[in-house]
Amino acid sequence: MLHARGLVKRYGPVTALDGFDLRVPPGEIAGLVGHNGAGKTTFFEIAAGLLRPDEGESEVRGEVGMAPQGLALYPSVTVRETLRLFGGLAGLRRRALAAAVESVAGELELAGELDRRVALLSGGQQRRVQAATALMGEPAVLLLDEPTAGADPETRAALLAAVRRRAEAGAAVVYCTHYLPELAELGATVAVAARGRVIARGAAADLLKDLPGEVRVVLDDEREIALSTTDPTAALAGLLRELDGPVRGIDIRQPSLDDLYRELSRGRR
Amino acid sequence: MAGAELKESLHRIAVLAGHNALLRRRDPAHLISYLVMPMVLMPVFQAMVGDATQVATGLLVMFSILSMADVANATLAERVWHTWDRLRATGARVPEIMAGKALPVLAVLALQQAVLLAYGVAVLGLRPPWPPWPLVLAVAVWCFALLGMGTAIAGMVRSQGELSTVCNLAALSVSALGGALVPYALMPGWARSIAPVSPGYWATTMMQAGVRGDAAGVAGPAAVLLGVGAATLALAWWRAARGWGRGSVR
Repeated sequence: MLHARGLVKRYGPVTALDGFDLRVPPGEIAGLVGHNGAGKTTFFEIAAGLLRPDEGESEVRGEVGMAPQGLALYPSVTVRETLRLFGGLAGLRRRALAAAVESVAGELELAGELDRRVALLSGGQQRRVQAATALMGEPAVLLLDEPTAGADPETRAALLAAVRRRAEAGAAVVYCTHYLPELAELGATVAVAARGRVIARGAAADLLKDLPGEVRVVLDDEREIALSTTDPTAALAGLLRELDGPVRGIDIRQPSLDDLYRELSRGRR
Repeated sequence: MAGAELKESLHRIAVLAGHNALLRRRDPAHLISYLVMPMVLMPVFQAMVGDATQVATGLLVMFSILSMADVANATLAERVWHTWDRLRATGARVPEIMAGKALPVLAVLALQQAVLLAYGVAVLGLRPPWPPWPLVLAVAVWCFALLGMGTAIAGMVRSQGELSTVCNLAALSVSALGGALVPYALMPGWARSIAPVSPGYWATTMMQAGVRGDAAGVAGPAAVLLGVGAATLALAWWRAARGWGRGSVR
């Protein structure tokens, strides 16, 4: 479980966190989204115990597994040696450690790379190794800061599946990303950060329900009718009843997390 | 409960020490060059100076100070690779991380000095020290001082380039001023008067006493170098606990 209460962190005149609150119970994946500079990385560093907040407190129950935004790996050692280091630091020993190395490497499709040096891996593989270090020892809290940045589709799919499995096993996960469809894939709740605090928090469906979607109808004579509405399906039914000519195309777009993010960023909500 | 915590702490230190030993094995170039170079220079210097003790201990001190760059690099690399914070985000505490780094470094420094002393006995005709324990103590104290100075330097510099510059300048000035290159008795008066500010002076004096088996001669310089090591390690610890310049929890 992770519970941040009223975190404030200042760097000289810059306030990185300004009353940041976030509670993530076991088994939940909380997607943390926000512009660059919204305070996400500072929050991660405080939650991981790397920084001391000026005010407020961060309560973490259990071990923390962290994959920071930038790569933090030893280039001259192999993938196996890297995973053994972080597994060992998580308290694993001998057979349990060897089994965890094989298991996590398999999950993230690194089994064939275990004896290759990190420096010789591709960027996507290095990112998987970094995520794998966070998963060693089954931590109770996972802090993942843009783990799929620059990753190919296979890497992304493997990572998301591994994160889902950890949450199903009871880990509290904070998943920071700019790629919002990933949060839908993960079934994550959403926390939107702006100006150093969480300005919206809840299930994606609840946060999206008041946002307008869009209905677009293209008529046979090339005319196009577009409506922005909170109930696109009902609006389409009404439109079709009113139209007397043939229709060439229909497009319904439900509100997405991207829309929510844009709305909140504009400060309209 | 305290016993279990101590056991876990020792386990983490062992894991970190093993990992750091691995990192050093993967990059042995400096150690090899700091062993081979003094071995080449020792017979040449002996032909000029004549005194095997002066030559062996002087070059040992000079090249062990050059090895300080390796000590510093072991810590600086963690900052350059961003792995220091990654380690701190695990259950490992700063003292455990530093201990895990220090153990292999101390072993490498001790190995270098032992090999050079053995070479001095075998090739230069250095008299095998008896009793040996003052020399063992001298090597241990000098390793500790080098560890402290190297780690403190790593906490101050910001790049490999800065590190090389600082360590090369320090090695040459500390060695020369300390009487490692030219016997203290042959140094100009002004240099002799300021020599005691150089840790190299105390190291050379201590090693020469150790080679003679002179425990009393080792004790004074050892006390000075223990102080240097403790002060510089405390400085490094203070920097590390603040994330090398940032505020931190642990």
